[in-house]
Amino acid sequence: MRTSHKGFAEGLLFTLNIFIVVLLLAGDSLVVPQWLQPVGRLHPLILHFPIVILLLAMVMEFFRFRPEFANEKLYQRFTTYLLVLGALLSSLTVIMGLFLSREPGYEGGTLQWHKWFGVSVAFVGYGIYLWRNTAGYTATIAKTGAIVTIFCLTLAGHFGADLTHGEDFILAPILQKENRKVPIEQALVYQDVIAPIFETKCQSCHNADKMKGGLMLTDTTAIRKGGKTGKLFIPGQPGISLLLQRIHLPEEDKKHMPPVGKSQLTDQDKMLLYLWIKNNPDFKKKVIDLPATDSLRTLASTRLKPAESTEEVYDFSAADDQDIKKLNNNYRVIYALANASPALAVNIYNKSTYSVKVLEELDPIKKQIVILDLNKMPVKDADLKTIARFENLRQLNLNFSDVNGSGLKDLASLKHLKTLSLAGTKLNPNVLGQIIAIKSLAELAIWDTGLKPADIQQLQAANKKIRLLSGFKDDGKPLKLTNPLLKNTSQVFQQSFQLQLSNPIKGVDIRYTTDGSAPDSVKSAAYKPGIIFTQNTVLRARAFKAGWLGSDTVQFNFYKNTYIPDSISFLAAADGKYYADGAKTLINKELGGTNFGNMKWLGSQKEMAILMLFKKPVELHSLTLNTMRNIGSQIFLPAEIEVWGGADEHHLKLLANQKTAAPRKEDPFAIISEECKLKTAGNVSCIKLVIKPLQKVPDWHPAKGKPGWVFTDEVFLN
Amino acid sequence: MEKDFLESRLNINRRKFLSRLSLGIGSVALGSLLIPDLFSGNGADSEADFIPGIPNFAPKAKRVIYLFQDGAPSQLESFDYKPKLREMMGQELPASVRGNQILTGMTAKQASFPLVGSFYDFKQYGESGAYVSDLFPHIGKIADDICIIRSMNTDAINHDPALTFFQTGAQQGNRPSMGSWVSYGLGSENKNLPAFTVLLSKGKGNGQGVYSKLWSNGFLDSIHQGVQFSSGENPILYLNDPEGLNRHERRKMLDNLAALNDINYKQFGDPEINAKIQQYEMAYRMQTAVPEIMDVSKESDDIVKMYGPDCLVPGTYAANCLLARKLSENGVRFVQLYHQGWDQHSNLPQEMAGQAKDVDQASAALVTDLKQRGLLDETLVIWGGEFGRTNYSQGKLEKANYGRDHHPRCFSIWMAGGGIKPGLVYGESDEFGYNIVKDPVHVHDFHATMLNQLGIDHKKLTFKSLGRRYRLTDVAGNVIKGIIA
Repeated sequence: MRTSHKGFAEGLLFTLNIFIVVLLLAGDSLVVPQWLQPVGRLHPLILHFPIVILLLAMVMEFFRFRPEFANEKLYQRFTTYLLVLGALLSSLTVIMGLFLSREPGYEGGTLQWHKWFGVSVAFVGYGIYLWRNTAGYTATIAKTGAIVTIFCLTLAGHFGADLTHGEDFILAPILQKENRKVPIEQALVYQDVIAPIFETKCQSCHNADKMKGGLMLTDTTAIRKGGKTGKLFIPGQPGISLLLQRIHLPEEDKKHMPPVGKSQLTDQDKMLLYLWIKNNPDFKKKVIDLPATDSLRTLASTRLKPAESTEEVYDFSAADDQDIKKLNNNYRVIYALANASPALAVNIYNKSTYSVKVLEELDPIKKQIVILDLNKMPVKDADLKTIARFENLRQLNLNFSDVNGSGLKDLASLKHLKTLSLAGTKLNPNVLGQIIAIKSLAELAIWDTGLKPADIQQLQAANKKIRLLSGFKDDGKPLKLTNPLLKNTSQVFQQSFQLQLSNPIKGVDIRYTTDGSAPDSVKSAAYKPGIIFTQNTVLRARAFKAGWLGSDTVQFNFYKNTYIPDSISFLAAADGKYYADGAKTLINKELGGTNFGNMKWLGSQKEMAILMLFKKPVELHSLTLNTMRNIGSQIFLPAEIEVWGGADEHHLKLLANQKTAAPRKEDPFAIISEECKLKTAGNVSCIKLVIKPLQKVPDWHPAKGKPGWVFTDEVFLN
Repeated sequence: MEKDFLESRLNINRRKFLSRLSLGIGSVALGSLLIPDLFSGNGADSEADFIPGIPNFAPKAKRVIYLFQDGAPSQLESFDYKPKLREMMGQELPASVRGNQILTGMTAKQASFPLVGSFYDFKQYGESGAYVSDLFPHIGKIADDICIIRSMNTDAINHDPALTFFQTGAQQGNRPSMGSWVSYGLGSENKNLPAFTVLLSKGKGNGQGVYSKLWSNGFLDSIHQGVQFSSGENPILYLNDPEGLNRHERRKMLDNLAALNDINYKQFGDPEINAKIQQYEMAYRMQTAVPEIMDVSKESDDIVKMYGPDCLVPGTYAANCLLARKLSENGVRFVQLYHQGWDQHSNLPQEMAGQAKDVDQASAALVTDLKQRGLLDETLVIWGGEFGRTNYSQGKLEKANYGRDHHPRCFSIWMAGGGIKPGLVYGESDEFGYNIVKDPVHVHDFHATMLNQLGIDHKKLTFKSLGRRYRLTDVAGNVIKGIIA
């Protein structure tokens, strides 16, 4: 080889290696144009050259520093040429391989291993070539490099072979046959679920040659016959079947099967055998013939290959896109079942725009419609004639439509109709024959159609495979009524209020009391609209109706508030976190409910002071503060409430001060109205209200020593 | 050999360097020819696989109703039966079981972790023999219609991140909600209603908030945002015409507005203008569609008895279940319910009974109701919270009073319809109900499976934002084949 040739080869080698780096960096973004694909497909052809050449080169490289070869000109030059050729070919092979890997069907772990070992071969080979004539390159490095290259080469070759020939290609003939999973739709209960248990766990002793205990489990006649001790099983009676007794004996028992030391049955194995015998052992039954919810089927299916994709293949061509587009509108939605599928689904909406014309217009796509949804549309029996033209229809929803069934005979011409929903229609019982005539049906919804159980039985008898969805039956057990609801917008009133109660269930009798007793359905007053109250009221109400259990008793408190201040403001504000709507919260006529954090409650750990002003003096007798007690959340009643009054804020007198009893540990959650009666009633234009929280939480409380919280949502002035 | 070494040294010079450099650059340039979008910043166009609005393959489910139990109901008092915990009542949680699980700040400092068994008994129901606690007798009765997954697990241990993770596939809260993804992926079935609606209710138990970020459209188009239906007189805020404006006037006004918007669109070409016109039109149609849906007065007595009388009280969970059925029946792709109040750190036996009473009958009724209308096959119903609860008591353990802290490692949810195997109990936890021993289902897997049932390959449903493509499952998630019928 001339120097110029060698230089060319080195340049090419460098170029190819850079190219590999680029391809690797591109990763998934790499797109191989069609005209380059044949180059990629040459990979399995070319790869044999670098294997042989590089292997030979590496063997020679290994011995390169041996004294007898060191000065052998031919040996040295030949090694160099072999190496450069091998490196070149391996780079080329790698590039082709990378092209090929972009074709569909190449993915997974083996490919990754193959790819990276292959790339290593190219890089290590080139690395050695670059390095081998520099000063630091010693005999040891040469040997190591050669070994690494050969190692990578071998593994790349191995994984590559796995890719083309499948794993364990070489050893496959002598390896044990793998237990292949049978697809569920083909599987037989005995042959594919039960027999494998016998095969792996029992047959080593119970076969034609060995027949321990006179039992042979290799063929079905012998299994039926049983062994020395008797029959193996009694159909339908797993509890007294010998097979199950033996496998369930404690392991120490001599008769326990399989014997100690042999591979034991798993719980699932035992369960399968149990269910098989319970179901009356059958050697021919298919797994999918068992009911869908059958335990044996459920268990068995875990050992079988799941059903192949059940995607239906349609034998008609796709409709014209333009037609679909034209027919699609806001109340008639047409869409493809899936990408690239010719099948269409049509949903019709809006009663007022429906007429049979909506269906007739679908004529251009009549072949492609497989699902039609007419739920709640006023479809008449005559319209079914139009529907019968959709020859490929699979699924039809006529729930709550106006059909009474007389037109169902037209649907019998639909050869593919599998699912029909008639729930909520007023079917004539005499149309049963017409439904039975639709032979292809697999599922029929007939809930709320007025069909009697006898009709349903007749349907089932005529078509055993059909799944009838008859739905909810009232079991006659009385249910509890919902609680009466209060419709009044506010529970705070100025002069009087009209009670407004309601219950969403029709025909309910609401009874109430105002004396705090529990209402009953006999003595208590019956609620009628128009009842007027003028005083603070504690109203308890309960709903009753024949055939139902009475509701819970609910309580509503109504508060009278005669005077509304013209302005209200804080002198000492509530805590920023529980500020609600500011001081106005107290006179907004809205009670805060039971959740103190809902921004309807004013809360504070410090003293709150509120100033209320009236333009005209009012004759005040009492002030009532609505407060919360929630000891778990450190909320206590106010320790003290002071009411100051006067003509203006500079002339205030203490009109009332009220202290509450010390809190007790067992005080329950409550919302309490603290009424402060004024010592002397009188005309005031200005009121100052001071609310003092509990100064120190008692010792029995986790927050002992800290100040308590006080919460209030409303004030009533009378 | 010496000659070779000598030559090699001579190779290191400027001329060599420059010629190699040019070769290298040439090689890079050649390689770059094979990377079509190298400089456009777009990468390979894998979005071509996905056309918004059309499923990748024929869907099993067309719609989803998600009954979210906000606050995380305890799996140990609902669907994961652990008699061992009763046997070991009060004994310390073995360290080997807890392993390296980090606890919340609420119990991390607790001196002991006493195991606590369920206060409520369990029974087996149906052909499947699934164990369901006595708190959920109605759900027990539909055991053969549902698939209970006892091996859910999540990454987050506190409500906000866990809830956000469940709803958006990420804990941070800037991504589209799963309902928005579904709306984006499948489009709307009924053009007169939003594709993604949200209904809220609240139990009496200790609650955690829900907030609109959970039904946000994130970086997706705003038409995919969840629309909240509230219980009052105006179920959708600002939908009604202002007083004194009749339908005819409104139509005229919209037509004129559309004409003006159209002029603007022609001038600026901003697609948002068109989106706006569409939204006005949809609101106009919703004005007739929504009142019809919200009207429950025509529901039969049987329906009231099924869902329980509370279903006529607006704002209750039962009423929302009934509404969810009506919305779903009318083609709303994704109906998201939240029932708050499941955060039982203390007082669990009592609070959970109240919560269960709120939801048990109506949840079961929804499944039965869909089934009797022939709709369960095409509607996926999901029931569950954001994580589970610990097998040890938080706070003091009393015989009839205890609490449970947050537990992300293992909890239970159930699904029904939509091509999910009915009557199946999937996955298993250890006898302490603390770790998963069989068939774990991560939140990402749950998302992938849900999308799969809707006919969407979760790896293909992508949207590009801020320079990279996002998925609901981001870079994880496997379809759980074992629960697919």
